[in-house]
Amino acid sequence: MRPSRPALTSTLIVIVALLTVAPVLMLAFGSFSQGLNAFGHFTLAKYAAAYTDPALLRVIANTLVFVVGSTIVATGLALFLAYLNTRTDIPFKFLFGVLAIVPMMIPHLLFSVSWGLLLNPSNGLVNRALQDAFSLQDAPFNIYSLPGMILVEGLLNMPVAYLIVAPAMASFDVSLEESSRVFGAGTWRTLMRVTLPVLRPAILAAVVLGVVRSLASYAVPRVLGTPGRVDVLATYLYGMIATGYSPDYGKAAALGMSVLATSIVLIWAYRRLTAESGRFVTISSRGWRPTVIELKGMRMPLFVVVALLSFVVVVLPVAVLLYTSFVPYSMVPGAAAFAQMSLQHWREVIGDPTSRLALRNSVFLGVVGATLGVALSLFVAYVIVKVRTRASGLLETLTYLSFSFPGIVIGIGFMWFFVRTPLYATLTALLVGYIATYLPYGVRPLASAFVQVHAHLEESSLVCGAGPLTTMRRIIVPLLVPGVVSAWILMATMFLRELTVSVVLSRPGSEVLAVQILGFADDGLWGKLSALGIIMIVISTALVLLATFAGARFKAAQASAG
Amino acid sequence: MEIRIEGLGKHYESEGRTVKALDDVDLTIPGDRIFTLLGPSGCGKTTLLRCIVGLEAPDAGEIRIGGELVWSKERGVNVPTEKRGLGMVFQTYAIWPHMSVFDNVAYPLQVRGMGRREIADKVAGVLRFVQLEGVERRSATRLSGGQQQRVALARALAAEPKVILFDEPLSNLDAKLREETRKELKTFLGKLKITAVYVTHDRVEALALSDDIAVMRAGRIVEIGTPQQIYFHAQHRFVADFIGRANLIGATVRGHDDATTFVDTPLGPIACERRDLAVGSEATLCIRPEFMRVAAGARAGDDNVNGGKVGDGSIGDGSVGGGNVIRGVVESLAFVGEVYEAEVRTGGLLLLARIDPGVDIHEGDAVSLCVDPAHCLLVSR
Repeated sequence: MRPSRPALTSTLIVIVALLTVAPVLMLAFGSFSQGLNAFGHFTLAKYAAAYTDPALLRVIANTLVFVVGSTIVATGLALFLAYLNTRTDIPFKFLFGVLAIVPMMIPHLLFSVSWGLLLNPSNGLVNRALQDAFSLQDAPFNIYSLPGMILVEGLLNMPVAYLIVAPAMASFDVSLEESSRVFGAGTWRTLMRVTLPVLRPAILAAVVLGVVRSLASYAVPRVLGTPGRVDVLATYLYGMIATGYSPDYGKAAALGMSVLATSIVLIWAYRRLTAESGRFVTISSRGWRPTVIELKGMRMPLFVVVALLSFVVVVLPVAVLLYTSFVPYSMVPGAAAFAQMSLQHWREVIGDPTSRLALRNSVFLGVVGATLGVALSLFVAYVIVKVRTRASGLLETLTYLSFSFPGIVIGIGFMWFFVRTPLYATLTALLVGYIATYLPYGVRPLASAFVQVHAHLEESSLVCGAGPLTTMRRIIVPLLVPGVVSAWILMATMFLRELTVSVVLSRPGSEVLAVQILGFADDGLWGKLSALGIIMIVISTALVLLATFAGARFKAAQASAG
Repeated sequence: MEIRIEGLGKHYESEGRTVKALDDVDLTIPGDRIFTLLGPSGCGKTTLLRCIVGLEAPDAGEIRIGGELVWSKERGVNVPTEKRGLGMVFQTYAIWPHMSVFDNVAYPLQVRGMGRREIADKVAGVLRFVQLEGVERRSATRLSGGQQQRVALARALAAEPKVILFDEPLSNLDAKLREETRKELKTFLGKLKITAVYVTHDRVEALALSDDIAVMRAGRIVEIGTPQQIYFHAQHRFVADFIGRANLIGATVRGHDDATTFVDTPLGPIACERRDLAVGSEATLCIRPEFMRVAAGARAGDDNVNGGKVGDGSIGDGSVGGGNVIRGVVESLAFVGEVYEAEVRTGGLLLLARIDPGVDIHEGDAVSLCVDPAHCLLVSR
């Protein structure tokens, strides 16, 4: 007895369409309008202006190199790590779990800043140390360049690629490889001719997701590209609407349309690929173990590489920020630096009213936004999984549409909308923008939770004599709790650090943490930036711990009630 | 406790077409017996079970459990599932993953508001009954497939229901475990005085477990009987075919005597178990492969290796000396362990015969197949 629930489904379709289709439509209308205040007066002038700008060619070339380069770095690293973890006898495998999860906790903005602090050409810590040690005239590294941006973006996207590739590799039917060996192919040839081709859908999915993410990436190009005058589409778009110049929302919308269209096509391809990879990779139900490849002499060297990578990705960014927050100005660690350490930056940040406002706003957006977002996601996931009608399919498509939204572009779309409402420059505007952009992050864990709640689990409770309410309380809700907790954590941490939508929609009075941190970066106030950044990381971590604790408490309470 | 079903109907709309899952089903399930609904997938057996337990609402008809009306379309009666007081074992077992074995089994007692002490006693008792002592505190989903199955059974029995329902409970187990669990289940159910309704598509399971079998097709019940009746004396071609491997041959009724009906077939005249069919009417002859005895054919000489059951030189006539003899040529022969499976070409047909592995026989040999009339079954076309 599958309920069809047409009223619920159509209500949700209206809400989700308002969140995801409305900004796209506003962006489209806006791109044909003269300006924010002349909405609806049809003109093609903005398209002409946007696409004939001579600077655009350079920007597109930079974007291509940045996107392709960082995707290769991310996918290559992910494949390397996934293979080592799932198929070889490398020691300390827990490191791979750390590598896959922890970088997602560190905001992209702060990760980029810490690399800037280490490798910027004028006073980067590593550059200065090397110059001192080898008496070099020039800085050996320049992170303010395309290769620097590619490296940092690649490292940031590596965990996402890893989480797609590693499960596929782990569930790989090893007999496919064994038969290749039987027919005389060696390890390397088997890897190239059998393993990688069979994993192709998963690898392609990782590549496509990497492209979408780096195309939408704003933190890395803004922090590392702008100082070196390397503009990519995201920063170029933001330049058009940045306050201080003469913002041109029409031109930005006209160019943003192409970025959005590209992104939507890519996400469509990604979803096709992930659906395919489920079919392609064969998981045997028997308890088998993939043959473990012995690394022999390479075991330790490869482990050192992984350990180094973990250090660079997990420890270094936080350590650099912590260090910078205590020293008065950028100086190479040493006796002199430690002698001058103080809490001055911390005192200044905590005393700074704008920073305090930003902190309050971000925590509000994180807690309230995640709660509202999870509430909406709960209903959406229920309809997507349990009500399989044509309308619920439409709802699913609408929901995952926002998965392809580049924050800057969709922010511009929302701007065209909010400027016509009293919501303009309020926290509510940010709240709506956040939920719209990050809805899939809430829906996905909840959808898998609902999938887990097989109809039989509900039905057997009824047969046992429990009424619908008891069944809801004792069976359905407890089974959903882990999904709710992970959706809430995901959304709260996303919202707390949100940069790209905020940078467009935030106005004086509705500052948020990431925007405030970016302001410090623009003014070169690295100490204050680092202090505020550490506060941001601590609050994120606290939220994660709190939500996990609450989930565990709920489960315990349920268990004792039973 | 008896279950009476009258005029039950249920249809689905699927891609613009109406599918009749249940088509005017009348059925009485006798009390304190193991009653199996057997049929191919999509025949409506699971729908019927779900209607009994109340998880689906039929479009028409009435259901009574032990005299109590639990569903009537006409009179607007619908006792909700949780008030019907039944027990059920689901195909997926539906073991709640967030609860321990104890909590899973105690659940039906808890929702009935029973005291803690009493619950503990009852759960211990029922777990002992299904031989699952000592795992009470374990998470139920950590158990093996067979153990989970027993948890599901224990949960279904815990509240001492009037009726217990099984929805293909063995189909998730691998072949060996399925056989063991089937025997266990038979033992458990044999010790209880309980009405069990069992749904399966597996004929061996149905034959081995049931007191009665109802064979279903396309939303209708085709035939009801004991396993022996269904296997040896089926009325319908569909039932004869579904319940076991069979050679089905078109036949025309030629005449009767006291215990025998004579038919004409492409194999020649055959003597069959008596069925009251009009002379000249069309029927289907059903011969199970295991009842075909083989004697070496005329060309192979008179070896008599198969125990002297040969129609003693009188090959050529279809039915002589009370036994039918069919001549043919062995077209293929496969050794499958306990027997040879032979395909024998005769009269333009290919018959399947199961042959004792002691018989010296080769592909291409001419053979005579002897079949006792008692094993020649006439069924509907």
